[in-house]
Amino acid sequence: MKVLALIYGDESAWESLSDEDRQGVYARYRAFGEQADGKVANGAEIAPTSAATTVRVRDGETQVTDGPAVELDEPLGGFYLLEVGSLDEAAEVAAHIPGAASGAVELRAASEEEAP
Amino acid sequence: MQYMLLIYDEEATWGGMSEDERNGVMREYFQFTEELRSAGKFVAGDALQPLSTAKSVRLRDGEIATTDGPFAETKEALGGYYLVDVDSEAEALEWAAKIPSARFGTIEVRPVVVYPVEASA
Repeated sequence: MKVLALIYGDESAWESLSDEDRQGVYARYRAFGEQADGKVANGAEIAPTSAATTVRVRDGETQVTDGPAVELDEPLGGFYLLEVGSLDEAAEVAAHIPGAASGAVELRAASEEEAP
Repeated sequence: MQYMLLIYDEEATWGGMSEDERNGVMREYFQFTEELRSAGKFVAGDALQPLSTAKSVRLRDGEIATTDGPFAETKEALGGYYLVDVDSEAEALEWAAKIPSARFGTIEVRPVVVYPVEASA
């Protein structure tokens, strides 16, 4: 099954890290990627919420606003698309995502249908 | 460049639709996905199972803490996503506006940083 692992964390904590500390986090992410090889179908860091835009269409009019759809203290900062046998296995894999130690990882199973 | 198009809506909105309406929206979704694919912009995309199946995982002091439910309880919640490869942010926003849920929910458009959390697969 496909499971989306959404990585939530404090953006300001991330931005206040020194270059060296940040490289350390990236190294841990690379190590996770190698360790979880074969279970990770996709994944990426997502740019900070300051770069987010929301889109709504109401009465045929497209409304574009700056910022995320939902304001969170720990917003979404990255994701992995996991290919695993069960949600429990996804939880075991997700616990090793570096972001699970500082923020939280939300697991959402994909529907069996192809796309939304 | 890649963008995440995150689809937020209220599960109650879906629950309040008749089966015909729901099937109509699903057909629109299949058409949208097909259009995205044939334009060569589709990277990934999924509808997500209901929030009641969500789990949240934290690691604190070496202990894994798994809780049922989403990370945050919000009025509109993530119900699906598309990962698209487009030429500009403007193009990402155009695709976002075509997602059926843009009419009754909210699409959050987030640029992806390809390096360095790039997956190994």
